[in-house]
Amino acid sequence: MRNVWIIAHREYMERIRTRGFLITTVMIPLVIAGFAFGSTFLAARANSNLHIAVVSTDPQLAGELRAELERQQAQSSGSVENASAAAAMTSKPMKIAVEGVVPSLNAKRSLERDLDSGRLDGYLWVSRMPDGGARRYSFTPRRSNMRSVKTMLASALETISLRGQLEQRGVTPSEANQLLEPVTIDEAARPQHEDAEAAELCVSILFFVMYLVIMLYGMNVARSIIEEKTSRIFEVMLATIRPEALMAGKIIGVGAVGLTQVGIWLGMLLVVGASSMAIHLGGDTLHIALTGPQVLFFFVYFILGYLLYSAIAAALGAITNSEQELQQMNMFLVLPLLSCFALLGTLMATPDNTLARVLALVPLFTPLLMYFRVSVGHPAAWEVVLSIVLTSATICGIVWVTSRIYRIGVLMYGKRPNFAEIRRWIRYS
Amino acid sequence: MPVVELNHVRKVYDTKVAVDDLSIVIEPGTMFGLLGPNGSGKTSSIRMMIGITVPDSGTVSLFGKPFSRKMLANVGYLPEERGLYKKMNVLEQLVFLGRLHYLSASLATSRARAWARRLQITEALGKKTEDLSKGMQQKIQFIAALLHDPELIIMDEPFSGLDPVNAALLMDTLAELREEGKTILFSTHRMDQVEKMCDNIALIHGGKLVLSGSMAEIKSKYPRNRVHIAFEGDDGFLRDRRVEKVRRFAGQAEIVLRSSETPDEDAQALLIEALARGRVTRFEVTQPTLEDIFIEKVRETLPGAPGLALEAAEVEARVEPEGSYLNA
Repeated sequence: MRNVWIIAHREYMERIRTRGFLITTVMIPLVIAGFAFGSTFLAARANSNLHIAVVSTDPQLAGELRAELERQQAQSSGSVENASAAAAMTSKPMKIAVEGVVPSLNAKRSLERDLDSGRLDGYLWVSRMPDGGARRYSFTPRRSNMRSVKTMLASALETISLRGQLEQRGVTPSEANQLLEPVTIDEAARPQHEDAEAAELCVSILFFVMYLVIMLYGMNVARSIIEEKTSRIFEVMLATIRPEALMAGKIIGVGAVGLTQVGIWLGMLLVVGASSMAIHLGGDTLHIALTGPQVLFFFVYFILGYLLYSAIAAALGAITNSEQELQQMNMFLVLPLLSCFALLGTLMATPDNTLARVLALVPLFTPLLMYFRVSVGHPAAWEVVLSIVLTSATICGIVWVTSRIYRIGVLMYGKRPNFAEIRRWIRYS
Repeated sequence: MPVVELNHVRKVYDTKVAVDDLSIVIEPGTMFGLLGPNGSGKTSSIRMMIGITVPDSGTVSLFGKPFSRKMLANVGYLPEERGLYKKMNVLEQLVFLGRLHYLSASLATSRARAWARRLQITEALGKKTEDLSKGMQQKIQFIAALLHDPELIIMDEPFSGLDPVNAALLMDTLAELREEGKTILFSTHRMDQVEKMCDNIALIHGGKLVLSGSMAEIKSKYPRNRVHIAFEGDDGFLRDRRVEKVRRFAGQAEIVLRSSETPDEDAQALLIEALARGRVTRFEVTQPTLEDIFIEKVRETLPGAPGLALEAAEVEARVEPEGSYLNA
């Protein structure tokens, strides 16, 4: 046990002092923040003006459409103000210009020119069915990615046509407006542990943090084992300590570096979160408050997940001889993690059915699925305990097997072993 | 009570027999040389002594008891393939390795400094390992093996790759450790080193024990039928019928006499003949060197094996690249 700590301490100190650690610690949040900030900034700018033309024999349509669009916008920004101040503050009210054009052959040509020059964002061509019935609308946007504009137009036109029909049947405009008032639903507060959305978000965060840490640090465990093989220090180590202690020390030491980094990131987030910028970036995710047990279980399952997957990474490091070979094998790490994430969708609705209960006890899936069940479902206490025991046992088992593979494998350097050989190594010595 | 005892040990890797029915006994306080050409099973035998691998059959005992990992606290090991953490500070690395051997950090530090002074590399302690020369790294590794003051010191090819000055420094250090009562085993393919330093030796080839015993005992079994001669003038005497083989160097020759019954008389006759033809500046009659014995032994065990001539030639080439045997 003493040796495990000495090994872990060395791994930790050697890694934490490198320039690479400093760079990733600072750069990754900066890059993520830059992305988030940049994309909201661009999105806010991109939508700030809308200039469209309406080609119709009805000269009033353009004006009605403009009024309706503006009314819609006022409504939506009003409702946003309730849910989160963020969107309203970042996106300035959109300037809407709608011009009416009388249909003619020349009109189409000049509209196309305006689209090309960027003066117009799109034009709406209104025609009547030959039998004189309903109107037909055809919208030509400047760029193909203006789906939201199309939706806006459709809903505005729907309201206009509805209002027209109401007025035809003798309803006064003010009554019509009242009838067309949109329904708003206020969100009612629910008990915290039933908050499936919050749990889903937390599981997603757990997944991404785990994925990131495993890909960064699990692979570092594997790499450090390969490095030990190429620098040939392993022979001194094997003549000094048990390979199990070496493996365990490596996993703990490298993992502690990962935890330190995640800790620094969380600290940064909290500090930044106090400032106003986070409100812009975080949007409405910040309103989620986690309960104490949820935080506790987050860390329990996060650490279990890290240990389990980095033990697998260590095994991969033990059977490969170079970084390139390792890259080919890393799907063994990613696949279980991804498939488990894919399962989340189906389990979301029924976190306590038999399938979910069984899968959550499979060690490879436990960290994500059991955490999810603890957050959303109602697992029995024995299930939680059993899942922790099973996962811990699996970790020990993998470390034990890996240390054997390492011990024999490093002495037979050269080619990558096949499965039969690995099986023999485990039984051997 | 022997410090190391290998008892009919056998180890097979896949299909290759690395060590076959090997028995070795090392007494306390002695210097033991494990000899053999490359690939003869030296490293495999050593790895079994310290539990890196386990023999397929046979037993390994250290300090009079069957091997257990606890005993490693009392063993210092220098592997053939040197390995240190490249990016690590040298002193930190030594302290780290010392702590794994149950030293306290402060004791490990003071011992590392003392050893660095003894081996004249104090200035290396503050550097990164990868910035050191190969020879210096080897000295660091040497210190790492000795830091915990082990009773048994096992070194696989300790002098390979060192310049003569540093090789001599390490040899002297090992000799001093032996004086202190430590038991030392080292492997080498350099027979000349063993001859000077070892009390006992074992010669292995193809995983099998070819020859073992004390240096004196082994040498006494062989007649004094080797003649070293340095001369000026006509070398016609080298073609004498008493001469079986000659190895020529500039102004010198190493002669193997044909007779093993009357080598002394033959040698004197040869000297007279040489003096008749020119001047002799050096004349010595000796037993065969260990190297000669080794080559002879290997040829006896496996006559006509194709790989063997090559290996024997390799040994010769390494020792005296300019020498060549002339059959008289």
